[in-house]
Amino acid sequence: MASESSDEGGNGYEPKILVFACNWCSYAGADLAGVSRLQMPANCRIIRVMCSARVRPEFVVTALSKGLDGVLVLGCHPGDCHYSEGNYFTRRRGLLLKNLLQFVGIEPERFQVRWVSASEGAKFADTVEQVTEQIRALGPNRPRSGNQSAEPGDR
Amino acid sequence: MEDKLQELVVELLGDGAMEYFIGYRQGFEPSHVVPCFVTDQSEADRLIWGPLCLQNLSKYVLQARDLDGKVGLLVKGCDARAIVELVKQHQIERDRVVVVGVPCEGQVDPRKLEQVLGVPMEQVIDVEDAGDEFLVTVGSEVRKIGKEQVLRDKCFFCKHPASFDYDYTLGEVQPFTIDGDSEEYDAVEKLEGLPLEERRAFWQKQFERCIRCNACREVCYGCYCKECIFDRTAPRWLDRPPLLRENEMYHLIRAVHLAGRCIDCGECERVCPVNIPLGRLYKKLQKDIAELFDYEAGMEYDTVPPLVDFELDDQDPFL
Repeated sequence: MASESSDEGGNGYEPKILVFACNWCSYAGADLAGVSRLQMPANCRIIRVMCSARVRPEFVVTALSKGLDGVLVLGCHPGDCHYSEGNYFTRRRGLLLKNLLQFVGIEPERFQVRWVSASEGAKFADTVEQVTEQIRALGPNRPRSGNQSAEPGDR
Repeated sequence: MEDKLQELVVELLGDGAMEYFIGYRQGFEPSHVVPCFVTDQSEADRLIWGPLCLQNLSKYVLQARDLDGKVGLLVKGCDARAIVELVKQHQIERDRVVVVGVPCEGQVDPRKLEQVLGVPMEQVIDVEDAGDEFLVTVGSEVRKIGKEQVLRDKCFFCKHPASFDYDYTLGEVQPFTIDGDSEEYDAVEKLEGLPLEERRAFWQKQFERCIRCNACREVCYGCYCKECIFDRTAPRWLDRPPLLRENEMYHLIRAVHLAGRCIDCGECERVCPVNIPLGRLYKKLQKDIAELFDYEAGMEYDTVPPLVDFELDDQDPFL
């Protein structure tokens, strides 16, 4: 996964960012951004999920551990959840996970949660651009040290 | 205390109030205490109690789920919270467990005791609780050691030495004083105060040592999933080799899975063969949950765990 992503340290470094977008708001928002032909960086890989609460913490931890540079979780604005309350759970989990990741020394920018509604194509483009720039500034996710010699995928 | 315990167990087994009892007995060395499973009145005299009875026995209740009849259990105040949580999480029925509370006035950390004494634990014959100090017998000599020197970390900040929900108790907890002015979250706050780079270096050094023996998972009362995510092969979340990358994932995922359920019994840290300070990881989550959601695990039956609950006006940093 990671091996093809970051041209580590080189000038051509392009961060690889995983985006989980909720089917009802954010994914439609992304669609709107595309249909409106808004310009945004192409560093994001979007995974559509039925609700932002579908994103289990292990999705995020695994993505970061396996070498992705950042994870962005997008959901409906609180109060607008298609399932009434899913994003309220996301909010609590996200807060805890963010704190925990920071506690073990992972930059807070690498895991972000944002609320993007279906009508906010522009916000989607802005968010993606912002997050990409923040992560580009940070550089590749955790230069490996110690017993890190094996490539991801080696089994 | 031991007589009282043995009498109670004999009585409860005799009149059919329970079928089994889980307590502590002496292991292959005097200083080594192991769990004891009593099914017959004649075995009750093996039961012991003392500052070396470290294990949290509530994990074994899960294995008694499929047996008929009630199971009795000896619990310290901290372990009793695991029972509350297991009931809350619908893992056991409260009326199938006979909770026997024991007044605990602090447990000995064998690693600390070895350091203070300068002799291996095998030579320790007895450890007795005597108010503010422990009476430790090494050979024929009895030494007095202040509690603050050898107490388990979690016992320093023991807020709930007795649970609210015992079926039987063996006595009241006598309060004791320990010197020192450290606070419960000192270790966590010290780490939080470090720059990000140093925190990362600290945890990488810890996780790098992990051999992924899974002891922390096996001993944890909260790890009762029939199929653990780490054992799954499809999808395979975790690669087998104990590399830093995988170890980090393992510990972080385990931590978030236990968020809001960890009762800080300290078993994971105690059993860790490479001494990873796991307690600090779990304490961090505990601290956040207390601060953000005003919740403490294992305290009441009718509160809703923080991660299956929400408030409309929860803190929202994600606009």
